[in-house]
Amino acid sequence: MNYLREIWRSRELLLNLTLREIKGKYKRTVFGQLWSLANPLALMLIYTVVVGLIFRVKPAPGDPSGLHVYALWLLCGLLPFTFVSSVINAGLRSLVSNAGLIQKVYFTRIVLPLSTVGSVGYTWLFEMGVLVIAVSIAGAFVLPWIPGLLLIMVILAIFAAGIGLMLSIANVYFRDTEHFISIVLQIWMYFSPIIYPVTLIDGPSKKIGGLLGTNITLADIYRLNPLEHFVEVFRNLLYDNRWPAATEWYICAGWAIASLAIGMFVFRRNERNLAETL
Amino acid sequence: MTGTAVRVDQVSKSFRLYHERNQTLKSAIMRGRTSVHEDFWALDDVSFDVPEGSTFGLIGSNGSGKSTLLKCLANIYFPNKGTITHFGKIAAMLEVGSGFHSELSGRENVFLNGSILGMSKKEITSKFDEIVAFSGVEQFIDQPVKNYSSGMYVRLGFAIAINVDPDILVVDEVLSVGDQEFQEKCFLKFADFRKAGKTVILVSHSMGTVEAMCDRVAWLSHGELKKVGPAAGTIKSYLSSLTPEA
Ligand SMILES: Nc1ncnc2c1ncn2[C@@H]1O[C@H](COP(=O)(O)OP(=O)(O)OP(=O)(O)O)[C@@H](O)[C@H]1O
Ligand SMILES: [Mg+2]
Repeated sequence: MNYLREIWRSRELLLNLTLREIKGKYKRTVFGQLWSLANPLALMLIYTVVVGLIFRVKPAPGDPSGLHVYALWLLCGLLPFTFVSSVINAGLRSLVSNAGLIQKVYFTRIVLPLSTVGSVGYTWLFEMGVLVIAVSIAGAFVLPWIPGLLLIMVILAIFAAGIGLMLSIANVYFRDTEHFISIVLQIWMYFSPIIYPVTLIDGPSKKIGGLLGTNITLADIYRLNPLEHFVEVFRNLLYDNRWPAATEWYICAGWAIASLAIGMFVFRRNERNLAETL
Repeated sequence: MTGTAVRVDQVSKSFRLYHERNQTLKSAIMRGRTSVHEDFWALDDVSFDVPEGSTFGLIGSNGSGKSTLLKCLANIYFPNKGTITHFGKIAAMLEVGSGFHSELSGRENVFLNGSILGMSKKEITSKFDEIVAFSGVEQFIDQPVKNYSSGMYVRLGFAIAINVDPDILVVDEVLSVGDQEFQEKCFLKFADFRKAGKTVILVSHSMGTVEAMCDRVAWLSHGELKKVGPAAGTIKSYLSSLTPEA
């Protein structure tokens, strides 16, 4: 609790560091913030062609929205995923890349990884705004679901922040972390229902049945992945336009709280040694 | 004005010296532990008091532990043994301008750096003109700081730091970059500080500066406190230790 109060007292610094990153990022570019759309758009084109047109993966139409556009369905999962992945990548480097600051000035260290959540989140908010407009043009009625959307965005940000905190410390001790994690993140994406629907797993899973004589199926193991639940909630709200099942909300919130609690615990235990270890 | 501003009590600080420092998993796994290291005592059982309202100097050769001690004062390092107590708000200037973002303007950096140093936005806004005037970079305040000369960088950084307005100011040799005019300005500012009953702790290699500014001086050698006392005496012992058989 004391720790939370300390972070709260540093909120102005947190805001300023976030602004530093946001302002610094697109300085001296002509298109500025528009660049943040370039990456998701490129990915969208690639997956739409490869997965949607060549492999002919067809997710079910939005129920009840009736949307049936692979590209939009994809983005509803892809944008949250790229957010998580950028927060982890940037958060993980935040301590090492600010080593000079940590060694020369005293301040609440945790604001460094947290400010990356802020600056990446700002970009994400912009991307999601564009997606909401695109989905609306395609015929979905998103307006009533916006509060739910904002809520799940906050929950996902908390989840990503916790992982970022843990890994930022790990990266101080082992610089391998950042290289290792970039591979893990790629694998993680393919093990999450981002470019294909989860129903693709259910079929084979039923055929195989219970694994090793138990009644745990492949699909059960697949659903241990927290992102499966997050993506489900995002798609329910944005693509299907319905309120997600209560259990999905609980699972997401549970993962987020656990992640942040562990992240803060790890961070707090190690922050005193940062200046000399870096 | 007879109280103690900072009490350093039997402080020891060790660092791990790694024989083979590569922070990789491979090396950790190969050896079955994170690293082979030995402890190196950068500060060894150092105790002294800094009287309130005084200007206190720290001298000693390179690597004697002066910066380490200042970092312990500034809560950047934590001593292995012993305690440091300070009475009043402490601010450290170990390197001015750390945290400047090179692409942002001087103005934006004043706000950023001020908040890193713990000032609120309101405080910075109210002191902004003073900061800019003291730094003497008015003309360039809206330019990105990467276009500043290294002296201008230090001037702006110093101007921000000094406006934090602490009771105890801790300064590592940061002034050496500024020109004569600016150095004099800073010394005047230190004198003002002192008149206001505030404490300054500074590290310098220029014995002239130390002699002129400090009331009391501590001399560190290889992490041990050799002598602490009135400026002239300590400086003399330090200098005579440098010329053997003199
Ligand atoms: N993070 C660290 N890890 C390992 N050793 C360190 C670390 N920081 C300082 N040291 C060691 O501690 C000793 C004291 O260093 P310190 O920076 O305090 O010296 P100093 O008195 O400030 O010297 P100078 O006059 O050159 O500034 C040095 O031998 C240095 O190598
Ligand atoms: Mg030093």
